[in-house]
Amino acid sequence: MRKLYRVLAYLLVAEVVVQAGAMALAIAGLGKWVTDGGVFDSSVMESDERAFPEVVGIMVHGLNGSIVIPALALILVVVSFFAHVPGGVKWAAAVFGLVFVQVNLGFAGHDLPFAGGLHGMNALAVFATALHTARRARVRPPAPVEAAPSSSATTAG
Amino acid sequence: MATRRTWRLRLAAACIATAAVAGPLGWFWQDSLLPGTYSAMDFGYPDPGGHDAHAGHAGHGRDVTTLVADPARPADVSVTLTARRERFRLLTGRTIDGYTLNGASPGPTLHATAGQLVQVRLVNANVRDGVTLHWHGVDVPNAADGVAGVTQDAVPAGGAYTYRFVVPRAGTYWYHSHQDSHDQVVGGLYGALVVRPASKPGPGVDVVAMSHLYRGARTLNGREGDVTVAAAPGATARVRVINTDSGATQAWVTGAGYRLVAIDGTDVNRPTPVRDQAVQVTAGGRADLEVTMPADGSPVRVQVGGPTGVVLGQGRPTIAAVPRPAATLDPLAYGTPAALGFDPAAANRHFRYDIGRRPGFIDGRPGYWWTVNGHIYPDLPMFVVAEGDVVRMRISNHSGEAHPMHLHGHHLVVLARNGRPATGSPWWVDSLHVANGENYDVAFVAGNPGLWMDHCHNLAHAEQGLAVHLAYAGVTTSVHIGGAPANAPE
Repeated sequence: MRKLYRVLAYLLVAEVVVQAGAMALAIAGLGKWVTDGGVFDSSVMESDERAFPEVVGIMVHGLNGSIVIPALALILVVVSFFAHVPGGVKWAAAVFGLVFVQVNLGFAGHDLPFAGGLHGMNALAVFATALHTARRARVRPPAPVEAAPSSSATTAG
Repeated sequence: MATRRTWRLRLAAACIATAAVAGPLGWFWQDSLLPGTYSAMDFGYPDPGGHDAHAGHAGHGRDVTTLVADPARPADVSVTLTARRERFRLLTGRTIDGYTLNGASPGPTLHATAGQLVQVRLVNANVRDGVTLHWHGVDVPNAADGVAGVTQDAVPAGGAYTYRFVVPRAGTYWYHSHQDSHDQVVGGLYGALVVRPASKPGPGVDVVAMSHLYRGARTLNGREGDVTVAAAPGATARVRVINTDSGATQAWVTGAGYRLVAIDGTDVNRPTPVRDQAVQVTAGGRADLEVTMPADGSPVRVQVGGPTGVVLGQGRPTIAAVPRPAATLDPLAYGTPAALGFDPAAANRHFRYDIGRRPGFIDGRPGYWWTVNGHIYPDLPMFVVAEGDVVRMRISNHSGEAHPMHLHGHHLVVLARNGRPATGSPWWVDSLHVANGENYDVAFVAGNPGLWMDHCHNLAHAEQGLAVHLAYAGVTTSVHIGGAPANAPE
């Protein structure tokens, strides 16, 4: 379970990287498409069509961000109940909370660009928190020290 | 022993915590599952609009399939349209894997005169998922509304269905499939319907400008780039802009002033000349612009969206596109007031169509779904009216995105936007762009019995559940969503 806990946390780290890359790809593709004569407007934005190939970045971002990442974060919380990582539930909950905020900022950004800016910043918080959560679960806590003295102990003569 | 008990307690606590997290999710998930077939009458809850609930009960009575045009009356216009799934070429050579009507996309432009009975036989050559035709903006009898799973079964491959309806008013309309519309309309299953007045002579030049995005390529009348139309100096030209896409588009004119003479198939009362303003055309909506060609023979351009336009003039007219004017014409204060033909203050039904968004499940699919009055599809209100009711509705949107709201079978008159009353010509719409943060007060007379969709014409949004129904008391439907015909109106 501890291993699964770590794998999930690292997956979330990787997902933030994918999300950032996907958006940068889409925006770069959009820039090139417009430079080449394409016109980006509400009709294009509201269509599900791939006006330019890099629009796939937006689709990946949307699917990952609204379903895959929240699901991973939720599974991390459930796994944390069983993983016996000291403070593990707390950190998993923190990751989940930040993801929750992130999803809401993402959707709010459709109308409030300012929220979109915060979405970009909060992504780094998700990244750092998930990374810390994964790394701090790396070592097993030391086994409880046995109270009984060793049988080979010798008394001082 | 102590550690073992602790271990057990911890495991039990973990299981309880898991159940606390996953249990409600699982419950919401299973609760959202839809049956394989169901009636549009059955889902959600009836909303009698503040009326006596007993008087406003829908769900039994006359079947929608019996609400037809006079069967004894011969058709004035008779057309057969054959739908096909195929690869086709746009005029500019681009190949599209989509749908055609009579071998072309868009399908043929149909012409009729106000008051005529139009009869269209739809034949499905090979579309596996089935097809229908909806007459967008025409207040047809309910059986001719073309909504799969609500007013008819989708026409299977090899099958046919005949639509019969009177076109009561002159104006610009369009038709499109209402089966899997988010795929079929986008893929090309649509065309224009132009109804000319019976008495008045038409303008010198009358041109349809139907905007459509084919797999990312912007077209007017199926052509990428400009549409060139011959127009003599001094001639009056009417350009009928039809927006078939899922987002609003803009039209603007260079080389002359213009008048916005009709919106959604209804004439604007005493439209005034406009310059340096764009007209917003709602997704699914229409805007008719009229220009008088300059006496000196110089050309005029009606730009539609970014990359396409209608160029009017002599010979091979050329006129460069200019960027969209910063100002947009506001129909709320355009033209001159006129009698509505009814009194909205005497409304006896008051509805609220409040659009939001929240996470949840639809048929087991997790997502961030549209809500109507706080509920996710299919737990939506069904607005119940009786024939002759005067209905008022407040459509408000706080969902973060714009919604082009389309009520079938009726036209709505806009009374106010964000509390600001309309001061211009009566602004009648069948497709109303409700931006985020806006609210509209609209009114209409319930004069066309049936079961009518009232949905977002951003077709992806409709598919995501932003679709409710207006139901007349005493009307029911024997047609079901899903089932063997795989009816899927959105």
